[in-house]
Amino acid sequence: MTAPELTSAGDVPVASTRRSVLLRIAEMRAWLFLILLAAFFEIWARVVYGSSFILNIYNLRSISVFATAPLTLALGQTFVIISAGIDLSLGFIMGLSSVLAAHAANYLAAQLGLPPFLAMLLAITIGTVTTIIPGLVNGALIAHLRVPPFIGTLGMYGVARGAAYLFAGGMTVAISNPWYSAIGNNRVLGVPVVVVLTAIACLIMHYLLSQTRFGQHTYAMGASQIAARRAGIDIKRLTMRIYLLSAIMAGFAGAFYTGRFSAGAAQAGEPLLLDSIAAVVIGGASLFGGSGTIWGTVAGALVIAVIQYGLVFIDVEPFWQFIAVGTVIIISVLVDQTQRRFTGGRQVE
Amino acid sequence: MERRSFVKLLGAAGVATASAPLLAGKASAADKITIALIPGLTADGFYVTMHKGAIAASQAVGADLIYQGAAEWNVSLQMPILDAVIAKQPKAILIAPNDKQQMIEPLRKANDAGIAVICVDTFIGDGVFQKGSGDVDFPISYVASDNVLGGRMAARALAKAIGEKGKVYVSNVKPGVSTTDQREEGFKDEMKNYKDIQVLDTQFNDDDANKAAAQFQAVLGRTPDLAGVFGANLFSAGGTANGAKQAGVTGKVKLAGFDAPESIVPQLKDGTFELTIAQHPAEIGYFGFIAAYAHVTGNPVPAAIGTGFTVMTAANIDDPNVSKYLYKSE
Repeated sequence: MTAPELTSAGDVPVASTRRSVLLRIAEMRAWLFLILLAAFFEIWARVVYGSSFILNIYNLRSISVFATAPLTLALGQTFVIISAGIDLSLGFIMGLSSVLAAHAANYLAAQLGLPPFLAMLLAITIGTVTTIIPGLVNGALIAHLRVPPFIGTLGMYGVARGAAYLFAGGMTVAISNPWYSAIGNNRVLGVPVVVVLTAIACLIMHYLLSQTRFGQHTYAMGASQIAARRAGIDIKRLTMRIYLLSAIMAGFAGAFYTGRFSAGAAQAGEPLLLDSIAAVVIGGASLFGGSGTIWGTVAGALVIAVIQYGLVFIDVEPFWQFIAVGTVIIISVLVDQTQRRFTGGRQVE
Repeated sequence: MERRSFVKLLGAAGVATASAPLLAGKASAADKITIALIPGLTADGFYVTMHKGAIAASQAVGADLIYQGAAEWNVSLQMPILDAVIAKQPKAILIAPNDKQQMIEPLRKANDAGIAVICVDTFIGDGVFQKGSGDVDFPISYVASDNVLGGRMAARALAKAIGEKGKVYVSNVKPGVSTTDQREEGFKDEMKNYKDIQVLDTQFNDDDANKAAAQFQAVLGRTPDLAGVFGANLFSAGGTANGAKQAGVTGKVKLAGFDAPESIVPQLKDGTFELTIAQHPAEIGYFGFIAAYAHVTGNPVPAAIGTGFTVMTAANIDDPNVSKYLYKSE
């Protein structure tokens, strides 16, 4: 791990004006990527198809729905990464929630005779609330038993995965609840419900991270755990809360996956885990902790979604998607390193 | 490729069942025959159903079944499981190899150790065994659905559904998986017979339903006159269906799925899917086990056993002769 340094959003050290402008740009790099990508696809679409890529409500809707699941995981992951941790169990915690929510929806409606709407609400609650267990176990392993986050959550990755597959019996668990499917696929005022819900989640998470003591302590802990402890922050309690929050966000993602695809699947979040980490990193957070923002993560998730959607839209060989996303991650980390050399030079070494 | 003759298949079953009572007496003498089944992955309704078929066969002939597999489709996970199973020294191993090439040598080791190898669902080498030549000739038999034929059946049914004209594409997992590659191959080849149908580039989704949905929307975005899609496996089909729903074109763009979990029933009825091609995994498990048993007890076994398909549509799904092929977890 590197030496302690403070580079969180609010803590940009005073430097020359030119430098701080550069720093602002470096912080906003995910949005810059996004604008560049959108411009690239816009030009291509206009030249080849004679239509607009951006000013196309259909494309915007498709991309935003596409981004919701990885973004929901990435929101919780942002807190974890800022605290200098990592949560590898999110994908299967999402799957576990998805399977349990599907079972609950079926059971409540068929066995207890609850109306579909109530069954849906309870199912989402059950799927989400259950994730408190893996979240607390993760937190306890890391905070109290001093297990490194990478290993502790890797263990939970296996446990949650096994549990999810066991509950699902190795199959997908279909639901037939019109309300539940509607919440996953319908629109309010032209905006898909899942997008509205994800946007609300982003606002809440942004408030938590930037405006509350919990959020500021998370930055402090990621920048330097020793300093944070000496400053009187209860690191153990904070760690528990951070991993609990990330598990609950994964629970939401899973419960809504069930609505969207009308079925619970244990493997629902498996391919999304790395995308969620990539979104946080492209968004400007450092894997060494202490920096990152929710809006950066939002941009990071949109960058990934726009690349993957756009390359299919302009009909490019599919394997270019991997290269494109990989390249953006590498550039993003390079920018981060350069920025660190600027701001943290004195503290490093 | 032709669908293997059903007569051969019946032959294999007949031989095995005929010798069963004969052996039941011997089996009691503490050397009960053990046969192992290693699925492509455990967490999949297809293999769960195949396992049930194998259990039924093991009970029918009174042999023991070992069932062990990895949770994920990955050679490096399947390899140690194969080693562990070999250590138990079963008489035969039924396996759905995770890779055509990488599983050849590990399985050759099993064969050299005197364990008969039978491929189920997926294969190693070119999938043609016991022809007396070639490098990968040692497996006793290959028991599977003819996936090229499955792709052809999907193509024919989808072509009919879209009035034999328009643009279609295949939503597939990733290249290099023998079964899904063959479905795509069969689908594309059959579509060549329809001169008014254009097959667009295949979209690979890494078994991510979310990605398959976005890809559908992106393709539809640039091809508003898209007529149909073939989802070559469960998540490809399910994700594509969701993409169609989000785009509001359910039923307008016709979807053909592959595989038949119970959740497919309401989706056929509400028009989400025009049709789906159901494999018969229980038959693969049953006849795979019977073939292994027949071989172990000194009876000849055909080198290839093809199991069938059923095309499921909203019109026929309530027929018990069709719905019995749904993959069940219980």
